[in-house]
Amino acid sequence: MPRRNDLEQKALQFIINTGYEGVLQSELWRKLRASSREGSRIALKLEDKGLIRREKELRDGRWTYRLYPKRLPASIDSIADCPCLLCPDNPRCDPSSAISPRSCERLTEWVLSITKTEFGMMGDS
Amino acid sequence: MLSNIDDATLVRVAEALGDEEAVKLIEILKNSDETTDDEIANKTGIRLNSVRKILYKLYDHSLVSLRRTRDPKTGWFIFHWRLQPDQLEGFILSQKRRVLEKLNIRLQYEKNHDFYYCYTPGCRRIPFEDALEIVFRCPTCGKSIMHYENDKILQTLTKKVEQLRKELGE
Repeated sequence: MPRRNDLEQKALQFIINTGYEGVLQSELWRKLRASSREGSRIALKLEDKGLIRREKELRDGRWTYRLYPKRLPASIDSIADCPCLLCPDNPRCDPSSAISPRSCERLTEWVLSITKTEFGMMGDS
Repeated sequence: MLSNIDDATLVRVAEALGDEEAVKLIEILKNSDETTDDEIANKTGIRLNSVRKILYKLYDHSLVSLRRTRDPKTGWFIFHWRLQPDQLEGFILSQKRRVLEKLNIRLQYEKNHDFYYCYTPGCRRIPFEDALEIVFRCPTCGKSIMHYENDKILQTLTKKVEQLRKELGE
């Protein structure tokens, strides 16, 4: 049945796009303009195939499922500006040596720059 | 072509590993099946030694593969390079694991230590044990050092560690 497969693909894409937030099953079938029966069948099928994870959630007094993608497209964004990525001292970096992630100033600066963006100030309050 | 990775991610990795030159180089590799360092240098205008430097860096991370043939006229080796996009996901995951390990070490250290600081830009924070030995004077600028509240650093580290764990599915 091509329609079912199309819908499955669309649903999977939609779930992947929600990332770590996931999406409520009820929301999904409304977005896809499918019936609740179709929606839950698709969710079950995707779970069977190991593509998504379902977690029970109480919403407005009713039990529904939140659907999460099992694998997200790999992205380097979270560490792209981390100094460890290109650090020339990497082979010598160890907690027991002079070059250590405990005291590395480059790492401190990176953490402080994130702190600054997140809290709008230096971490030295 | 790329299973779970899009072209934008490829460019982001090139940026993280190198600079604009690495991005240009990746563009050429992406659009050709196999190419030589000479061709890349001609097409991008990047100096041949820089091209090779970037290629070797990518090769170190298995992001490109290498085939060697001999030039029948000169007898010199010709290197043929090919992008290995299927290795990209593995590369990203292993880098994240490495960063996560380091951040965990730092998080534990920050949790278990009290820090003292002279609040002069460019000077280091000193853990209490060391501060005691240097009688609370900054070894760099000589000013007296005061207690440094590291709770924001702790929050940032905890958040980052959690984010990376989530992304790695741990």
